[in-house]
Amino acid sequence: MNGELANIRNIGISAHVDSGKTTLTERVLFYTNRIHRINEVKGKDGAGATMDHMELERERGITITSAATHCEWNDHRINLIDTPGHVDFTIEVERSLRVLDGAVLILCGVAGVQSQSMTVDRQMRRYKVPRLAFVNKLDRSGANPQRAAAGLREKLEHNAVLMQLPIGLESAFEGVIDLISMKALRFGGANGEQVVEDEIPAEQRAAAEAAREEMLDAVSMFSDALTESILEERVTEELIHEAVRNGVLSLELTPVFMGSAYGNKGVQPLLNAVTRYLPSPEDVENTGIDLSNDEAPVLLSSDTNKPLVALAFKLEDGRYGQLTYVRVYQGTLARGMNIVNSRTGKRHKVGRLGRMHAEKMEDIERSTGGDIVALFGIECAFGDTFTDGSVEISMSAVHVPDPVISLSVKPAQQKSQENIAKALGRFVREDPTFRAGVDPESGETVISGMGELHLDVYVERMRREYGAEVVTGAPQVAYRETISQRTDFNYTHRKQTGGAGQFGRVAGYLEPLPAGEDFEFVNEVRGGSIPTEFIPSLEKGFRAMLAKGRLIGFPVLGLRVVVNDGQSHSVDSSDMAFQAAARGAFRECYARAKPIILEPLMKLGVEAPVTHQGAVLKTIMQRRGSVIGTTEDEGFCQIEAEAPLAAMFGYATDLRSATAGAADFTMEFARYAPAPRDIAAELEEKFQDRRRLAKDED
Amino acid sequence: MLRGFLNARSPLRILERGLHGGLGRGNLGLVLAGHGVGKTPFLVGVALDGLLRGDQVLHVALDSSVAHTRAHYDTLFDDLAQATRLEDEAVVRGEALRLLSIRAWPRARFGVEKLREALRVAEETGARPGLLIVEGFEVAAASGAELDGLAALAQELPAELWLSAALPGEQAALPEDIAPGRFAVILALEPGHSAVALRALKDHDSPGAGKLRVSLDPRTLLLKRS
Repeated sequence: MNGELANIRNIGISAHVDSGKTTLTERVLFYTNRIHRINEVKGKDGAGATMDHMELERERGITITSAATHCEWNDHRINLIDTPGHVDFTIEVERSLRVLDGAVLILCGVAGVQSQSMTVDRQMRRYKVPRLAFVNKLDRSGANPQRAAAGLREKLEHNAVLMQLPIGLESAFEGVIDLISMKALRFGGANGEQVVEDEIPAEQRAAAEAAREEMLDAVSMFSDALTESILEERVTEELIHEAVRNGVLSLELTPVFMGSAYGNKGVQPLLNAVTRYLPSPEDVENTGIDLSNDEAPVLLSSDTNKPLVALAFKLEDGRYGQLTYVRVYQGTLARGMNIVNSRTGKRHKVGRLGRMHAEKMEDIERSTGGDIVALFGIECAFGDTFTDGSVEISMSAVHVPDPVISLSVKPAQQKSQENIAKALGRFVREDPTFRAGVDPESGETVISGMGELHLDVYVERMRREYGAEVVTGAPQVAYRETISQRTDFNYTHRKQTGGAGQFGRVAGYLEPLPAGEDFEFVNEVRGGSIPTEFIPSLEKGFRAMLAKGRLIGFPVLGLRVVVNDGQSHSVDSSDMAFQAAARGAFRECYARAKPIILEPLMKLGVEAPVTHQGAVLKTIMQRRGSVIGTTEDEGFCQIEAEAPLAAMFGYATDLRSATAGAADFTMEFARYAPAPRDIAAELEEKFQDRRRLAKDED
Repeated sequence: MLRGFLNARSPLRILERGLHGGLGRGNLGLVLAGHGVGKTPFLVGVALDGLLRGDQVLHVALDSSVAHTRAHYDTLFDDLAQATRLEDEAVVRGEALRLLSIRAWPRARFGVEKLREALRVAEETGARPGLLIVEGFEVAAASGAELDGLAALAQELPAELWLSAALPGEQAALPEDIAPGRFAVILALEPGHSAVALRALKDHDSPGAGKLRVSLDPRTLLLKRS
């Protein structure tokens, strides 16, 4: 294999749940000779696909953690990250995208663009990842690649262009017509490994000519040479490839390929497209933050002679101890060298370096800029940056969403206690959206995450991987408090109990911030009525009060504190006195600012046959949901709605029974919104009851 | 505050005063405008006006996505909330938009029966819209039976049902291929330098419809402040 940087592709495969990502990956590994037998995701033999290496993944038929593997195709090395489809595991998708240079977006040939396709697409946009689309499942009843491409254009606003046409559809699906070579491609052999090139069927010739013209029209926008060659009627395949690549790299073109991964059709042309059109590490600009120069951005270069910069984007505890996946952005990472963690300043020696293939690994001696490899036995946290110590550079952090649901867990038997602690320690290190802690009031261990399934999977993993049976409490929603009107404060903190006293007066106002903003502290004190050195004390005091609101004890967000006046004393004023003054001011005016309770609203996407539409809508209404809209096409409907998380527990079971299992749904956090008055009153009452109880116990 | 603002700036108030009480439930209304003049924002304004008065609204979007249509509502609401410095914005938005349902179909697959079925499904969940917006329906190409079907539906509910149609040029005159008889109210939007002019081409059976002419803000399609 050519080891040049230009021949490396770091790519991800992302899509809606159950679109066939893992099935496609299995074919990729088979055709590139990484595996010698295809195992299906939900295969009858129970072996599971190669990339679904966790026992639980094999059983449930979903990908939970993203496994990394690599393969070779057309003299290129492809580092491939298989990402989870379920929204509850969205952090896996986010951190994969951060380190990838390109991606394949899979769409179901029947359902087209689905709710999770939109989420994944949004994530790809955030990290500016160029992508190709692959319309899968063309052998399924109701498959329609043109509709999927139209969905890309209309719903995701992609400049999507068909690069192929199907030969037959549904049970008659045979292969694809390549609109560049104008050849029919069929896939022979027991597993579709032989790509047979043939003439385009006569009855499809005209359609193929028209589709090619449309494709050339779209891609010529990205190459003057191609435009000229079209006018002069001397178009070559190379000119088209170059134009498509330009379009993909500029994020302005999404070429659409198609096939059936399960039916072993269309995968090899997709691999050709990955190597031809997706960027190599040297095509992508990556920047780090220079910690020694006021966090100024630094352009990184994949030059092997430059100082090492590598990002730890995934941690796993496995049979080799802690395994840390790193993307090398600059320089060389070699076995035996010393590396420094930019966050902790700790020095580590690289004992083993490997390339992963699902849970198997191959030792390697060195890795250079642009590559994805695994380090062994190096303690670090998710998102840490490693350098060779000669530079102080950190990569920007991956966006980590806050958890929205919590669950108390306790050991079913006392002996499980230790194993639970071990398991939680590991899960927290591996997954930044998963948190664990002890509730100071109840003394219970509480785990928090992104959804019911997310926490379910961790509870199940404690049992399977650590033999720790746990009893879980009722799920708790992460409510928030905020204020709804501007309120002035003017508070004096004064204490004189012998010795030095405490004095501080602070005046100003609280006001609500626009939705989505957390907290802002504004200092408008003029004329030194509060000495400058005590302004940070005030901010600290106000911030301390945000941790626990006074309505129901949940964090407070969405407010601005403006301090515009105050008073100090030459002897009795201190950091502590002004912190106390801020806390007192907040306590005194919070109730007057009309606090309200916010509850997490989830964005819900349900897909069902039209015949079940009424039943689905009812399940949403019954759970205080509000339907944003419904899209109907060819017997299927996609319902978009918002519903409070508190009302969505057990929704999967409810939906299944209402639709005889015909509907599918995804759910993700959308925003915080005011809780209805009756719900808010109930929450306040419960909180007051708990406080009374705690007081009585004291 | 928002309702007060709308009372002052919504073109519907003028229409209600100038026309005979507005469109009225059970009737079909038609908005005509050239491409890009603002048929959709105008109809969204009509719908938002209804939502803020507590009416349930069904917005049918043909060949347009739910997200795209919803974005029109959010944008107009944001503009209104900002203009009125609305304090309890989240609560008002939640209450108003809760009454809105958007239904998207490919144009080729839409018909009166589809709409009837959607209303039946809505009724199963307790929703009965008093205002229907059907956007993207090709009025000029529609058969008489289709328009009769929509009119019958508006009467059965009863609900106000607004349709829109594109004008070939900038001249606000009823295209020849649209028969005015089926519509109770016909309005036209004409682009101008700093304002969009709203004219009534038909007001129920009143002969003085042509006199009504108001200037709208080209961005929000609300009444100009002057």
